Amino acid sequence: MKRKLSIFLVAILLVGLFAGCSSDSKTSGNGKKDVDLRIWSFTDELKKPIKTFEEKNGVKVELTIVPIADYPTKLKPVLESGVGAPDVFTGEIAFLKQWVDAGYWENLSEKPYNADELSDKYVPYVFDLGKDKDGDVRALSWQTTPGGIYYKRSIAKEVLGTDDPTQVGEMMGSMDKVFEVAEKMKSKGYSMFPDEGAIRWFTQGDNPQPWVNDKNELQLTEEKMEYMDYSKKLRDNQYTALAPEWSPSWFEGMDKPIKVKEGGKEKETQVFSYVLPTWGLHSVLKTNVKESVGDWAVTSGPSPYFWGGTWLGVYNKSDNKELAYKFVKMMTQDDEFLTSWSKETGDVLSYLPVTDSIKDDFSDKFLGGQNNYQFFLDQSTKITPGIVTKYDQQLDTLYGNAVQQYVTGKKSKKEAINEFYQKAQNAYPDIKVPKK
Amino acid sequence: MKNLNRYGYFFIAPFWLVFLVFSIYPVALTFYYSFTNYTGSGEAQLVGLANYKRLLTDTYFVEAFFNTWKIWGVNFALQMGLALILAMIFSDMRVKLKGIAFFRAIFYLPNLITISSVALLFGILLDWQHGSLNMMLMKLGIISDPINWLNEPTSAQLSISLILTWMWFGHSFIVVMAGVSGISKDYYEAALIDGANRWQTFSKITIPLLKPILLYIMITSLIGGLQLFDLPMLLTDGIGSPDGSLNTMVLYLYNQAFKYNNYGYAAAVAYGLFVITLIFSAFIFKGMYGKERKQPRQV
Repeated sequence: MKRKLSIFLVAILLVGLFAGCSSDSKTSGNGKKDVDLRIWSFTDELKKPIKTFEEKNGVKVELTIVPIADYPTKLKPVLESGVGAPDVFTGEIAFLKQWVDAGYWENLSEKPYNADELSDKYVPYVFDLGKDKDGDVRALSWQTTPGGIYYKRSIAKEVLGTDDPTQVGEMMGSMDKVFEVAEKMKSKGYSMFPDEGAIRWFTQGDNPQPWVNDKNELQLTEEKMEYMDYSKKLRDNQYTALAPEWSPSWFEGMDKPIKVKEGGKEKETQVFSYVLPTWGLHSVLKTNVKESVGDWAVTSGPSPYFWGGTWLGVYNKSDNKELAYKFVKMMTQDDEFLTSWSKETGDVLSYLPVTDSIKDDFSDKFLGGQNNYQFFLDQSTKITPGIVTKYDQQLDTLYGNAVQQYVTGKKSKKEAINEFYQKAQNAYPDIKVPKK
Repeated sequence: MKNLNRYGYFFIAPFWLVFLVFSIYPVALTFYYSFTNYTGSGEAQLVGLANYKRLLTDTYFVEAFFNTWKIWGVNFALQMGLALILAMIFSDMRVKLKGIAFFRAIFYLPNLITISSVALLFGILLDWQHGSLNMMLMKLGIISDPINWLNEPTSAQLSISLILTWMWFGHSFIVVMAGVSGISKDYYEAALIDGANRWQTFSKITIPLLKPILLYIMITSLIGGLQLFDLPMLLTDGIGSPDGSLNTMVLYLYNQAFKYNNYGYAAAVAYGLFVITLIFSAFIFKGMYGKERKQPRQV
């Protein structure tokens, strides 16, 4: 009796121990219908499309949202082992390049997907980013995220004499011209940008190069080095409001004058412009601006650029690839869905057949009725494909750091660049760094 | 009856299974990865001792080592000093302060706040243009220009040390007080009668009898301190700015593994950190107990 009891107790303990390990939903029958499709993403933007998809196809989709900071580390093990893995998962631009090459996404260039046939229907750089190193399509995106400069119309009118986006854009057509405008702004007590980091997107100039080329060499172009001087000039001439990106004062500056302390004196200044991409309008400006709604406009800077973006593809070990691709197809190629999606969210699409039919009658109240859709589409086609590498996110951070060292006067330009080289080499021992 | 004994093993089996799967296996796997060039996906190739060779000549790791020591050291000195002074005041028989439980709770509170909240709080307090600290100092006329606390190597390190002190002195204080209450009142009464002053009582009775407690605090604090990661990670850009002064060993490990995808090298860094912790713990232990062992012979 005693013996049986102890075996029983041990059995209970062991069952309790392994209870948490079985996550296969097929065995955990909770009475409901099994999930047909699992999707992982780092934002909730797929929630609505999934609902549409469920209704259209009579299926059940489960969306798992993992915060962006944990996303790669959480996703990697499930993809590697295939246990509890999603059928469809999204990738953010910061780690997209690593993931298209890692081979977790199904090769969409092959049959039955034949995604290559779509190539001329997409904004070139967006389509190009979803390709792996062999040129096969692994992921697609429904959006394009080119950037521009958002500025306040009233200030433009007062200082520059016009608030027309095309004219203002021409006045900022090169870095030299940007400084001319900045000088005018300063003379009237305005700040050109919130801080000197704002211009980092224009550093590629008219010579866009990837951070690391195909020979595995780190490339710090002349244009990128000049960015250091531009940043310092912005700081030294007090063209900015010293409000770093995403800081409380950065947000505050969008709507009202902010206080700046420099050289012991406190002054109040209004920020003229913010350098942000498509999504900056909806998720940054519109959510933070209350008083100056309608007083904004968007125009081009010295060079076209893009920032961010979400891609999605089919997991190559998925049991349900057909349905998975059906969802990808709806998100990226469905005329009807994309049209309503774009009108609802203002998301700038990368699928040209749809954008061509809707771009003409867009206008945004926030931007004083400007057709930002047309503007961003024009910008997006000017972006050079093939300049994104898997190193970008980290090298941008390291370089931004070096620039800060120079701007705040802690290091000379040469020292800062050398330190950048050293840190880049330390982070990526396999890339070739120029000898000083 | 004899073979009933083996059921004991069944009962301890769950613990050992969990321990093997969640503790021993990852530790062993990390050791294996430290000899490879694993990048987080795909196959890992054995590279022999290359990662360890790199570790020994890595100036950034050496920098991280000294940064960690500086930040921990300053914090520990302040934290212990504060805890001991408070313990001295609260345990003084002549003063007999009331409300010790209240103060204990107040001092301990910062320890209960999550690190991310602490980082957010100090991020706002120390903000360069709009932070309360700079505002206050400028109003009082102590400084004329705002100081960018987190942008200067020394002040950034000092800030982290002070935040850690603020967070942990309450904890040390409670442990010290627990130690003090374990000391027999007879000693203090005897000292009182003999006319010893406060400092004598403290240095001749309290400190020597607190040695095991102090050792405990020191070693646990050292182990925690060498693993310093969250505050430097959250307060600046996560790569050890300014000028690498907040680059601690674990932050370095984290960046190598999860930002640069050098998993193999990060595993080697982890083992380097393990060896360092081991050596210093042994060192402190020896330093505090080494002398005592000799004492009985002198008697």
